[in-house]
Amino acid sequence: MKVVRVIPGRIARMIASVTCIGLLAAGCATPPPADDPAAVAAFNEANDPYEPFNRAMLEFNLALDKAILKPVAYVYKEGVPDPLQTNVTNFLANLRGPVVFANDLLQGEFERAGSTLLRFAMNSTIGILGINDFAGEAGIKEHTEDFGQTLATWDVDDGPYLVLPIFGPSNPRDGVGILADSLIDPFTWVTPFEFRLGRAIGTAVDRRARNYDRINDLEKNSLDFYAAIRSLYRQRRADEIRNGAPASATPVPGGLSVVPQKTDGQQSKATTPEK
Amino acid sequence: MTGSPLKALCALAFLVLVYAAPVQAATPADFVKNMGDKAFASLSEAGLTQDQRTERFRSLLNEAFDLPRIARFTLGRYWRTATDEEKTEFISLFEKFVIQAYSNRFQDMSGKKLIVINAREVSASQALVLSEIEIPGKPPVKINWRVRSKDDQHKIVDVMVEGISMSVTQRDEFAAVIRQTGGQVNGLIKALRRKTGSN
Repeated sequence: MKVVRVIPGRIARMIASVTCIGLLAAGCATPPPADDPAAVAAFNEANDPYEPFNRAMLEFNLALDKAILKPVAYVYKEGVPDPLQTNVTNFLANLRGPVVFANDLLQGEFERAGSTLLRFAMNSTIGILGINDFAGEAGIKEHTEDFGQTLATWDVDDGPYLVLPIFGPSNPRDGVGILADSLIDPFTWVTPFEFRLGRAIGTAVDRRARNYDRINDLEKNSLDFYAAIRSLYRQRRADEIRNGAPASATPVPGGLSVVPQKTDGQQSKATTPEK
Repeated sequence: MTGSPLKALCALAFLVLVYAAPVQAATPADFVKNMGDKAFASLSEAGLTQDQRTERFRSLLNEAFDLPRIARFTLGRYWRTATDEEKTEFISLFEKFVIQAYSNRFQDMSGKKLIVINAREVSASQALVLSEIEIPGKPPVKINWRVRSKDDQHKIVDVMVEGISMSVTQRDEFAAVIRQTGGQVNGLIKALRRKTGSN
């Protein structure tokens, strides 16, 4: 276990520093003068030293989205009957089964691994190649995992915020996770290129369509779309890493700083009633 | 029908006494449940104009949420450096901003249902109420409410949708705006004025 804990940390740091060098040319944010403690604290809290690069990358992704993904997702969302859309969502989620299973195991979550395996077996067969969430209806609820989350449970730091081209909001840890997941995934190795391409496009369209209104709302109602996305990405990842357990320790209105920080995922899970 | 006026008066007095006496203190979970039911009933009424809906949303918002406290939280470390005028204006702009951002999200509430699951204390004065919104044909949305209680009075201080805190998101976004405008709260106030159309 000890070895496992050390190595990913080192790898993540290595990758982080390599990305740093690559990004230096693209533009780093100027740190505030050291004699302005409030500005320095705000800068550190944002943990976004490559902000100018990231903002440019968001613009690039948004342009791509407006030109291609958004219109396609709109047509899909409006034109395809809802039950069929659910079938597509289920099919794509089922394909993730092996990766979720592997990450459940890597996190030592054997009960969740069992439920993932059972879901995959049931939905791939009775659910007809996964288009029906038969297991979910039988009470075995879906959950997701990825290698970025696995690294987090191994105490690997996320590193600075990074907006990746096409993939969008990320960080060095989750970037490594995306790569590792595609290597872990048996479908990467046993399916032809056309299938993998179709799957990638389908996943993008399905996700964009399901978040269509939310993204519109956010764009319309935010003062700083970039900063809002950054905050949402981090909070969502933190929630996924906690496996959805409520974070009673996050600082919120009313001053809760007296509550001891619960960083141990197991501990916070133990206090959460299973539904 | 022929009950004496005295009897009627007694009955009235009894009713007044019962209702004026502090009703058994509602728990934070009850509070969320009641506010949720009220919000669903009030905002989903058919034939509301946008203005009426906004007005109802405003009154529900002020009844259920401790907005000044949330506003102060979203300003984070900059609350201390803001002047009194800035604080006052910020709180009022924050309310407008929240109403503008959220009031139109309650147009389609048909078939949706708020189910309170349970509540747990997170500090002496605060509880976390766990709930789900059931949407027909879709997976339920997990919503947690942080409720602050004082003198048997409950107010919501944060809403977490699928683990994402609205207060934290707003604080992070405001901090980014302030940072870009040279660390001045005034920069955020100007941006909020523009956004809410108040000059």
